[in-house]
Formats: sequence, structure tokens, C-alpha cells
Amino acid sequence: MMHTQSKPKSIIDNIEETFIAVTLGLMTLITFANVIARYVFNANILWGLEATVFLFAWLVLIGASYGVKQTFHIGVDVVLVMVPNHVRKILTLIACAACVLFAALLLKGAWDYWSPFIGKRAFYETDDLPVPFFLTWISDVFNEGEAYEKLPRFIPYAALPIGMALLLYRFIQATWYVITDQQVGVIASHEVEELMEEVTSNNAQEGEKN
Amino acid sequence: MEVAILFALVIGLMLIGVPIAISLGLSSMIFLLVYSDGSLASIAQTLFSAFDGHYTLLAIPFFILASSFMSTGGVAKRIIRFANACVGHFSGGLAIASVFACMMFAALSGSSPATVVAIGSIVIAGMREAGYTKEFAAGVICNAGTLGILIPPSIVMVVYAAATDVSVGRMFLAGVFPGLLAGLMLMLGIFVWAKVKGLPSQPFAGFREIFDSGKDAFWGLFLIIIILGGIYGGIFTPTEAAAVAAIYAFFIANFVYRDMGPLAVMGDEKNTSILSKPQAVISAWFHPDTKKTLFEAGKLTIMLLFIIANALILKHVLTEEQIPQVITESMLAAGLGPITFLIVVNIILLIGGQFMEPSGLLIIVAPLVFPIAMELGIDPIHLGIIMVVNMEIGMITPPVGLNLFVTAGVAQMSVTNVVKAALPWVGIMFIFLIMVTYIPSISTWLPTTMMGPEIITR
Repeated sequence: MMHTQSKPKSIIDNIEETFIAVTLGLMTLITFANVIARYVFNANILWGLEATVFLFAWLVLIGASYGVKQTFHIGVDVVLVMVPNHVRKILTLIACAACVLFAALLLKGAWDYWSPFIGKRAFYETDDLPVPFFLTWISDVFNEGEAYEKLPRFIPYAALPIGMALLLYRFIQATWYVITDQQVGVIASHEVEELMEEVTSNNAQEGEKN
Repeated sequence: MEVAILFALVIGLMLIGVPIAISLGLSSMIFLLVYSDGSLASIAQTLFSAFDGHYTLLAIPFFILASSFMSTGGVAKRIIRFANACVGHFSGGLAIASVFACMMFAALSGSSPATVVAIGSIVIAGMREAGYTKEFAAGVICNAGTLGILIPPSIVMVVYAAATDVSVGRMFLAGVFPGLLAGLMLMLGIFVWAKVKGLPSQPFAGFREIFDSGKDAFWGLFLIIIILGGIYGGIFTPTEAAAVAAIYAFFIANFVYRDMGPLAVMGDEKNTSILSKPQAVISAWFHPDTKKTLFEAGKLTIMLLFIIANALILKHVLTEEQIPQVITESMLAAGLGPITFLIVVNIILLIGGQFMEPSGLLIIVAPLVFPIAMELGIDPIHLGIIMVVNMEIGMITPPVGLNLFVTAGVAQMSVTNVVKAALPWVGIMFIFLIMVTYIPSISTWLPTTMMGPEIITR
């Protein structure tokens, strides 16, 4: 099993965890509220679906970098556990290089895709999302003072460049940890690794009691 | 030829320890840049379209969340108690009850390994105390746990529906009968084995206990009724059904079962009543347990969806290069009939299913085999169920079946021993796979009866 040692939680950890929890919570509540609105109030939250979809994109694209930090992206470790340690380290470093390349290429792609939306296509709006009151200033800055009727697209799409920049940062960091032997690899072998550790440690505790 | 390089790259990257998601995404990007004139910006756009172009996938985080709220130890215990009361008095009763418990838990959770952990961590110890061997217990749980992806709601089915544009509701309904059938076949196998080996049974618990435990488990099991009933009754879309299920699970976990949240009491004492602590109605929403569950579900969502989004980039490359058409033509030109085709699909998935996460594999394989299946007149729902059952078996066959590893961890056995222990039951699953593959009505009968014949658009 590949694992980073569990360090005490920093402020950044807390921010990331809260971001993940709150985003998923909001998605659920908005979707649920829309069902209630339809059946109880015979109404429809017009922006509900679009907001949920964009929150979804933010959750995964931003969260992916947290996954690198916590090493919870799954991979195949059959080969890695069979080879001697020094070979394993070399293979892992090649893997790290591939990950960094991936993040760098996608960051470039994300920027190429996103920058027109904040530049010459800044007038391009979402379908239904209203502009929240605390963002009304953006029309002066990006749209030559012409007020936005709906939230401009560059805001939800910003998940791409931000997410990929964070991903690149985390992969470079992980590579450094592998070089300096603070971390063994960049993959988890399966999705329930943590759950199983809990079970195993419970078993061990019960064993001690008996 | 270029495609062979593409797949070689994917597999090569995976084997040296690159995360699956990155292997899929990076290979596709390199392929596009070298062999085609795709731009990086269009790849970024494809990545984003996983979220704003596929509303079906939106159901996945909600199903994961619902099952996280339901996966607390308390729900698993209630289900196991009910299962024991119902079937514990047969020979090998405890083992049969564990299969039954896995089936019920599968109806709350969309994941196989999660089912193994939740049910296995309780019943394997219980079976050993009752005099079963550890190997027997592990083998049974390892196999029964795979029902998690066949009995709805199932994340893998949502992914299949998203990849091939069939209805999620139909897929879910199609999984019900095969799921029950597989469970019954396993139970029957255990019963025969128990008769031969003279395994212990328990005294009949009485109808009172069946009723009491059933009432206790009912709140959890009602979740599946909300999901299936809501979708078929036309009350919700599958995505909405999943969100409603998540909120329902939150209420049950916090206010009915009170295993978590402000009303939970550590240890064996009775949990606090809502009446003596009414402020819990508000505080439950902000309780650390709620945040932790949301966070855990969020992590799993990120991991899965990042794979799916990257698999969509690969799918995009394959479609752009018209690979599915090329494969379809060459297969049909080679005179491939439906039977040989299904064997080929079985083999591809059995091999692939051992190395890859099921959802990612489905997103890649489904667009490749779907057009051929349509040409050969195979029902898309039937094909979907075949694929899901293949994934199940991929999880319990060596070298890298996921459930084998999870069971090994839960039962504290070596993987080799779990493989041996699981083998007889894998045989039953194989027979089941052959039945599902060549008797389409097992999968299509229920959805056709309930939702009318399917309109297949090519």
C-alpha cells in the first residue's frame, strides 16, 4: 500500500476539505430544492440545474489536485509491488514525469480555452445563472461597463485553469516527495483503502482486548 | 495501427504507476497532438463537457452520498439482523443470510467493494464464531459483494447509460431480476454445500423477530423504493431521485437511526431522542459527522469522475478517428455472429476488468462494442447487463480482482487464500454469466414489462 504519513491538518487541508464538503452539499440541496419547488410550490428554480452542473465541475476539477495531495487517485500497482525498491522508485519517477506533463499540457489547453472567455468573448453569458450581488462590479471591469444580465461564462469556466494549475503544483510537489523519499508513489491501489485500514485497525484493537 | 499505439500507451502508463485517470488523458492528448490536428484547448473543452454535457453523470455524486450516509455500521447491522431472522434457520444459514444481507446492502450502495467492507467486516467474524471456516466465509462474501454493481442503484450502470444514451431507469430495472437470480444461485450453492458438509444452522428466530428486525431495517431499505419508484413513477429524473435519496439517507441516519450526528451516543447506550434535543433539527446540518460524510463522498466522487472525464477524452479521440466504425466493419466483414461477438465482449471485459476501475473501462469499451451490437441486433439493455456481470467477475478473478484484495483485508487472509476460497463460488458466477449472456430475457423482461418495448435508435 502506498501512503503518505498522516500529518496534522493544516489550514489549507481544512479549506480544501470544507470546499469539497460544501460544494457537494450545495449540489444536493439545490437539486433537492428544485424537486420540492416543482411539487410543493409548483415552481421551478430556473438556474438550479446549471448551477449544480457548474458546482459539479468545480468539485471535480479543483478537487483533483487534493486527490494528488492525499494520494487517492487509483492506479495499478501489480508491477510496482513485484519489482525491487530501486526499480520501483525509477518507474514511479517516470510516472511522476508523465503526470507533470499531463497537468502542464492541460493547463496550457485550459488557458487557451478559457482566456478568450475573459478577453474578446467576455460578453458570452451562461443560460440561466443570475449575477450575484457581490459580483456586479465585473461588468465594469470585463464588459466595458455594459451590465451582465446573466453570469458571464468565464466565471464557471475558470475551474479549468485554476484546477489544472493546482494539479500541476501538486504533481510537482509529489514528484519532489518521491525524489526525497517522503512518499512512495502517486497512486492508491483501490477506492476503499481508507475504509479497510479502519477495519484492520479495529480488528487489531479487538485482538489486543481479547 | 495508431490505435494499437494508443492503447499500448494507456496500458504502459498504468503499469508503471501512473493514476488511471492520467494514463487515459495523457495518452489521448499525445495521440491527438501527434496523429491528428486536435488542439489542447479542445481537449480542455472535452474535459469540461464531462460535467456540463452529461446530465446523467450528475446522478453519481448523489448516489455516492446517499450510500455514504447509509454505510454507517448501524445500517449494515440492522440489515444483517433482518437477514439472519429470515434465512438463518436453513443449513448454512449464517452464510445464506450474509448473501441476503449483501443483496440488500447492494440496494443501498452502488459499489461492490463498499458492500464487502460493510457486510464482510461484521459477518465474517460472526460466521467464524458459529463454526464456519474463515475460508468459507471469505469466499462467500467476496462473491456476494459483487452484487453491489448489479443490484440497482449502481454507479456502473449510470456510467453505461451515459456512455450509450440508454435510459438509466431501464438499466436499473433490468438489474433487479439478474441481481435476485445471482443471489439465489449463490444461496442455493451454499445450501447444497452445507447439506453435504453438515454446516450448522440456527434455531428459527420466530415471526416476531422477522417482523421487528424487518421494521428496523425498513427505513434503510425504503431508500431503494424511493429511487426505483420515483424514477418509474415519473416523479423524478434519475439525478433528482439520487439527490432525494441522499437527503432521505441524511434524515434516516441523523434522526431515525441516530448512528451519527447530534443525537448519536457513543457505545451501547440508547441514542438521544429528538424530543429531548429538538435543536438537533438545525444542528444536524452543520454537525462534524455530516461534514465528514459529505467530504468522504466528495473524495470518491472526485476520484471516479476524474477517471470518467479523462476516459471521455479517450472516447472523443476514438470517435474522432472513427475507430468504432472501422472495428464494426472489419468485425462484420469477418462474419462475426452475435454469439461469437458476445464471447469476444466477455473476454475483453474479463481481462480489462481486472486491471481497470469498472466505470472507466465501461466508458472506453462501450462505444467500441455498442455499434457492433446494434448492427447484430443485440438489445442495448441486454448488452449493458452483460457488461456489468463481466465487471463483477473481473472483480473476483486473479491476478488483480479488486474484491479479492478487499476481502483479503477484511478477513485478514492472504490474497492467494482468498482466491482459492472464492473459486467454487466464482464457478457459480460464471454459470450465471453464461445464462445472462445467452438468455436476453433475463435482463430485458422486467423493463419491457414495466416500461413497454424499447425504442432503439441507431
